[in-house]
Amino acid sequence: MDTPPTTPTPLESSEPGAARPVRHLEFKAALLLVFTLMLVAGSVLYLLYARGFFEPTQSLVLVADDAEGVVVGMDMTFSGFPIGRVRRVELSEAGNVRILVDVPRKDAHWLRTSSVFTLVRGLVGGTAIRAFSGVLSDPPLPAGAVRPALRGDATAELPRVLATAREVLENISAMTREEAALRRTLANVQEVTDKLKGPGGAMGVLFGNEADSKKLMAALDRTNAVLARIDQLAARVDGMAAKADTQVFGPQGALDETRATVRELQRLLGDARASLGKVDAVLLEAQGIGANVRGATADLGTLRGEVEANLRKVEGMINELNRKWPFSRDTEVKLP
Amino acid sequence: MISFVLARKARRDGRQRLPFARWPIIPAMSAPPFSFSRLGPAAAAPVRWLAGWWRIVFFGACIIVLAGSPSSYGRHARAALVRHLYQDTAPILWWFTALCALLTLVITRIVVITAFSYGLSQYALEMVIRVLVLELIPLTAALFVALRCTIPNGAALAQLRRDGRFDVWRGRGLDPVVTEVLPRALAGIYATVTLAALSCVIALVLAYLAVYGWTFAGVAGYTHVFGHVFNPSVALIFVLKTLFFSLAVSIIPMASGLYDIESHGSRESAALQGLVRMFAVLLVLESASLAANYA
Repeated sequence: MDTPPTTPTPLESSEPGAARPVRHLEFKAALLLVFTLMLVAGSVLYLLYARGFFEPTQSLVLVADDAEGVVVGMDMTFSGFPIGRVRRVELSEAGNVRILVDVPRKDAHWLRTSSVFTLVRGLVGGTAIRAFSGVLSDPPLPAGAVRPALRGDATAELPRVLATAREVLENISAMTREEAALRRTLANVQEVTDKLKGPGGAMGVLFGNEADSKKLMAALDRTNAVLARIDQLAARVDGMAAKADTQVFGPQGALDETRATVRELQRLLGDARASLGKVDAVLLEAQGIGANVRGATADLGTLRGEVEANLRKVEGMINELNRKWPFSRDTEVKLP
Repeated sequence: MISFVLARKARRDGRQRLPFARWPIIPAMSAPPFSFSRLGPAAAAPVRWLAGWWRIVFFGACIIVLAGSPSSYGRHARAALVRHLYQDTAPILWWFTALCALLTLVITRIVVITAFSYGLSQYALEMVIRVLVLELIPLTAALFVALRCTIPNGAALAQLRRDGRFDVWRGRGLDPVVTEVLPRALAGIYATVTLAALSCVIALVLAYLAVYGWTFAGVAGYTHVFGHVFNPSVALIFVLKTLFFSLAVSIIPMASGLYDIESHGSRESAALQGLVRMFAVLLVLESASLAANYA
């Protein structure tokens, strides 16, 4: 016996089964099922493709001394591009870490026998395995090759940095201790500041007492007076300079006269130069005269020799006369 | 209307046998209910709470066993299953997908811009995939199916049971669990899986477009990141999580509607009970998934 139908509540109205019968229900349901199956199957296939299930790979074994940060599934990159994926991490018999990496064959040509592999741990992000191939003309890396992984750890510097930071903090702590010099210095600075605020001000701080600061103030006053006088003197010197300017550089100044004098001097020099030219001519004539005199002088030597010979002859003659003419005592010979 | 259709189909499928005749999954309304009042108010509450959970677990196990049994798919049950599969999934599929697409665009944009501003753009795509595809979309799909299909279905079953329909069908040789409950539960599971799968695919496509734009240049890198995120353990956890979400949103509301767990309340009260228990289970499942993925 069925219960009589009642007014549906909002919940009843929201029930999916309350909708009107659907035409071609079985066909639509089958389509929906096929759609779902295709969706799931496509997702699974894409996942397998993304995981490299359909891609042939070759293995590479990296040997490291520490596997920290290395996880299964992480990438091995070459120039920033992922070319391999870690398949397994295990301990070798020697205690080293063996990292088995699957490299797709289409990317394996980037790895050469001379390739270098590093295990870098950055400050941000996880550990990264990187491959570097310097010489791409070297032979390709064979499958199953075992290579060492060099470790570069950015956090390895952290202990040193922390130790340095600790030293710095200890120094700061020592500087800020109660009996530290810095604290005493600050106290002194505070005291000086108080003195600066006092009646003596900076003078009191510099001289330590008021009398000396007053002396300095008096000296300053006198200095100011001297400076005022120097100012007046400077003003007078300025006036004198102005007058000197007028005298020297004015229209009737010394400079003009000097210029005229220089012109006159130049003219005189020109005259002197002409006179000197004449003197040169005179000298040339004098040189000619000198040459003549030199020739005359040579003739005079000959003449002198002759005169001397004549004189000697005359002397001989006089001597002869004197000998022959004894009465006369005057032996002086009167030359013409 | 539903009652009328189901009653007519039940009369036609008169050869349906009861699989748990000796220990019925759903007690008859005429059977005297177990009273917890003899234990006292302090002891009755936890015992009732435990009994409620036990009934849900027992009901779920029975549904799974019935789903795996070929004898459960008779003519009557098959027709109901086809009808519920379509009517529970198709009407909500497209606009739930549109909703997820909008959510994907917004979240992808926020994550990408934030990651770029911090100089961590290389992690943005991975984060988008993890947040959206792994965590948000399966949970959203399960909640959506629960609110739109399974909780109203559970409430409808509770109403049918209160109306004495189940006793009538039993009198005609039909098992209401096979003919009415199992199709709704399977339809709920199917709807959850379909919605989650379609929304994940749409989210992946939109995330790619939001990051790379209209170009195929980033397909290789995107596929690599996708493969990097979905390693075998994460993929397994994702599948298991989606499956358990679908089981939770399909079984708990119906179990709460079929059993008088708390009290003799209305169908809205049964729906609310199912909702609360279902949220608790979803929370536990999500926590377990997060712990398994990231712990």
